[in-house]
Amino acid sequence: METEEYRISFFKPTTQQAKKNRTLIVQLFIIWAVAIFGFQILLKILEKPVPEEALIVFSHAWERIETGEATSPDYQAAARSMLQVMGKTTIEPNEYDALKDGVGWALSELYPDAELADIQADVRNLFRLREQITTLQDERYLEIKEVIISKAAPVLGIGENTLLAQILPVGLDEDLPVLSEENRIRIPAIMSLYLIHNRSVLTDTIFLGFPFHYFYTSVFLLVFFIGLCWVYCYRTDRLHARLNFLEQID
Amino acid sequence: MKKICILIFLSLLPLVTRAAQDITQLEGSFKVGPAIILIIILSSFVLVGIVFRAKDTTDYYAAGRSISRVGSGMAIASNWMSAASFLGMAALMYGAGYHGLAYVVGWTGGYVLLLILMAGQIRRYGKYTAADFIGDRYYSQTLRTISAVIAIVISIAYAVGQFGGIGLLFGWVMGINYPLAVIIGGSVVLLYTLISGMLGVTKNMQIQYVIIITSFMVPLFILTAKYDYFWLLPQIGYGTVVQDIVEGIKIIDKPELYNSLGHHFAIVPSPEYAMPWDPSTRQTFFQWMAIAFSLMIGTAGLPHVIQRFYVVPKARDARWSVVWGLFFICLLYWSAPVYSAFGKILSSNPEVGKLAADAIVVYTAQLGDVNPLIVGLLAAGGVSAAFSTVSGLLVSGSSAFAHDLYVKVIDPEAKPKTQMLIARLGTVLMAIIITAIAMADLALIAQLVAIAFSMAGCTIFPLFLLGIWWSGSNRAGAKAGLIAGSIVTLISLTYLIGNRAGWILPYNDFITYYLGAWYFAWIGAPLAIATNIIVSLFTEETPVAIRKFLIEKVHS
Repeated sequence: METEEYRISFFKPTTQQAKKNRTLIVQLFIIWAVAIFGFQILLKILEKPVPEEALIVFSHAWERIETGEATSPDYQAAARSMLQVMGKTTIEPNEYDALKDGVGWALSELYPDAELADIQADVRNLFRLREQITTLQDERYLEIKEVIISKAAPVLGIGENTLLAQILPVGLDEDLPVLSEENRIRIPAIMSLYLIHNRSVLTDTIFLGFPFHYFYTSVFLLVFFIGLCWVYCYRTDRLHARLNFLEQID
Repeated sequence: MKKICILIFLSLLPLVTRAAQDITQLEGSFKVGPAIILIIILSSFVLVGIVFRAKDTTDYYAAGRSISRVGSGMAIASNWMSAASFLGMAALMYGAGYHGLAYVVGWTGGYVLLLILMAGQIRRYGKYTAADFIGDRYYSQTLRTISAVIAIVISIAYAVGQFGGIGLLFGWVMGINYPLAVIIGGSVVLLYTLISGMLGVTKNMQIQYVIIITSFMVPLFILTAKYDYFWLLPQIGYGTVVQDIVEGIKIIDKPELYNSLGHHFAIVPSPEYAMPWDPSTRQTFFQWMAIAFSLMIGTAGLPHVIQRFYVVPKARDARWSVVWGLFFICLLYWSAPVYSAFGKILSSNPEVGKLAADAIVVYTAQLGDVNPLIVGLLAAGGVSAAFSTVSGLLVSGSSAFAHDLYVKVIDPEAKPKTQMLIARLGTVLMAIIITAIAMADLALIAQLVAIAFSMAGCTIFPLFLLGIWWSGSNRAGAKAGLIAGSIVTLISLTYLIGNRAGWILPYNDFITYYLGAWYFAWIGAPLAIATNIIVSLFTEETPVAIRKFLIEKVHS
C-alpha cells in the first residue's frame, strides 16, 4: 500500500496543489508553444514567393538578350539589376564574380569599341591601386573611381550620384567583353535566388516601423516570455499561500 | 586598495585619451585605448575575485547559497550572456537575417520551459551538480559517472565558442593573429577562474552584467541618433532601420550621412534580411523550427545553467531568479538585432568586403564612426561576456570532475583541500582542451554553442524532465534513454567532423540536413524520452526510497 502511495506522475497528480500546478503548467505550455511555433507555421502557410521589381525587369531583358532581340535599354536594365544584387551583403563571392562578369559584358556591348580599351585600363588601375592603398579615401583611388563612374554610369543608364553608381567601379570585371558560358547559364539562377522572397500580409504589415512578423519574433515574443514566467511565479506563490504550502528548505 | 586603483586609473587616463585617435581601420595594429580599457576591466574582475574568493568547497560549488533573487538573476544573465549572445546573434542575423531570430527565440523561450518544468524542483532536490542529481535520482554510480563526463563535454563544447570570441576580440584589440589571441585570452580567463571560484564568480557576474549591458547599449543610442532614427529606445527605433533595409535607402534619402570609410548611408533593397527563411540565406522553415526547439530544450538541460539554481536559498527564489534572469538577458537580446541591422547598411558597399560576421558588433560601431574609446568599451564588454560564461563553465566542468568523478567515484574520503586541488586541476585540463579546439576555428560562435545545447537537450534534459515528473522512470530507462540520445549526438557530430574533413559519408546530405549539428536535439530529445519511458515500463520499478524522496522533498 505504501509503495502505491509513493508514485508521482505529471499527468496523474494526487494532491490539490499538484493538480493546480499541473493545470497551470499545461496552460502556460500550450500558450508558449502556440505563440512560438504556431505563429511561424502561420507565417509559412500564408507566405508566397514574391519577386523584386529588379527580377521582373531582368527576366524580360535577359530573355531578349538570349534570343538576340536585345536593344540598348535591355542591356542597361540587365546590368542595373545585376548591380542591385551585387549590392546585397549576403551574396556569395563566386556568385558576385559571375554577376561582375555579366555587368562588365553588358557594358562592353553598349560601350563604343574605340574607347573600351580606355575604361578597361581604368578598371585594371583601380584594382591594382586597391592592393596598394591603406585607406579607401586615397585621392588617386577616389579619382579613378570617379572617372569610371563618369564613363560607365551614363552608358548603363545609371545616375552618377546614385548607389548603383557607387557600386559600379568595383562591380566591373577586368576582362570586360568576355562573358563565360558557365556564367551566362548561372546568372538567371543567381538573380532568382537573391530576388525572390517569401512574403505575406504578416511581412508586409508595418507595426512600430517593423515588418510585423519581425517585430513579433524579435521584440514581442521576448516580452511575452517574461510575462509567462512572471505569471507562473505569481500564480505559484498565490497557490502556495492559499493552500498553506510550505516549500522545504534543505 | 581603493586608493591604489584610483591612482592607477588616473595615471592611465591621459594615455587612454590619446589612444582615442588610434583606430582608423577595421583591422590593424595594436589598439592602445581599447587595450587599456580591457586591462582595467579584467583587473577589476580579478580583484573582485580575490576579495570574494571561495573559502571552502561549499563556496566553490554553490557560492554558499547566499545570493539574492535579483543578484542571482543578474548572475544567470551574466553567466548566460556569452560571446554567442554578445557577438554571435548579431553575426547570425547579419548573415542569415530572419533565420538568426530562431536563436533569439530559442535562447529565451527555453527559460519558460526551465522555469515551469524544473527550476523550483531542482532547487528542492538539493544537489550541487547535474551529475549529482542524476546519480541520486537514478540510484546509479554508472549514470553519475557518465553524466559527469557528459557535463564536462558539454561545458567544453560550449566554452569552445567562448574562447573563439575571446580570441577574436583579443586579436582585434592587440592586433595579433587568432591562434595567439586564443592562447593569451584563454590563459587570462583560466587564471581568473582559478583565483575566484564560484563565489567570486557570482559577485563578479553581477559586475560583469552591468559592464556587458552598458557597453552593449551605449553605441546603440549613438548609432540611432547619428543616423537619424528614434534613439530614445533603439530596441524599438531600429524597426524603421529594418524596413529601410527591406525597401532600400537611396543616397538622396540621407545624403549627408556616411560610414567611417566614406560610403553613403545607403543600401539596395534587401528584403532577404527580414523575410522568413529567405532562399538566398540557404536556410529553411524546418531548420528555423528545429533550431528554436533544440535551443529551448538545451537551455533546460545545460549543466551550468541548472547549477545556478543551487546557489539561491529557496525554491521560490530559484523561480523568481529565472524571471529576473530572463529580463536581464532580454535587455541584450532586444539589442543584438540592432547591431546586425546597422551593420547591414554600413557595410553594404562592396568595397567594405566580406567582414568576419562574428565581429560584426564591433565592426558596426567602427563603421558607424563611434568614438574609439566606446568601441573599445564594447570590445571589453564582449570579452566580459565570454569571461563570465567561461568561468561558469569551467567551475561547472571542474565541479563534475572533482565532485562527481573524483569524490563520488574514486575517493569518497577525499579531504576538502584535496577536492579543491582536483577541481583546479580539472579547470586547467579543460582550459587546455578548449584552447586547442578553439584554435581550429570550426564554425560561427553561435553555431558552436548551439552544438552544446543540442547535446544537453539529447542527454541531460530527458533525465531531468522524467526524473522530476515521473517516478516510474528508472535506472534502466535512464540508461537506455541516455544511449539513444548519445547515439543521435554521435551521428550528428560524426557528420559535422566528416564534412569539415572532406569525407563523404553514407546519406551525407540527408543526415547533414535532418541531424544538423546545431539542431539535432529536435529528434534526439524526443527519442531519448520515448526510449526512457518504454524501457522503464518493462523493467524493475524505481525503489520506494527514491519515490518517497520525490514526493516528500521535491513535490511537497
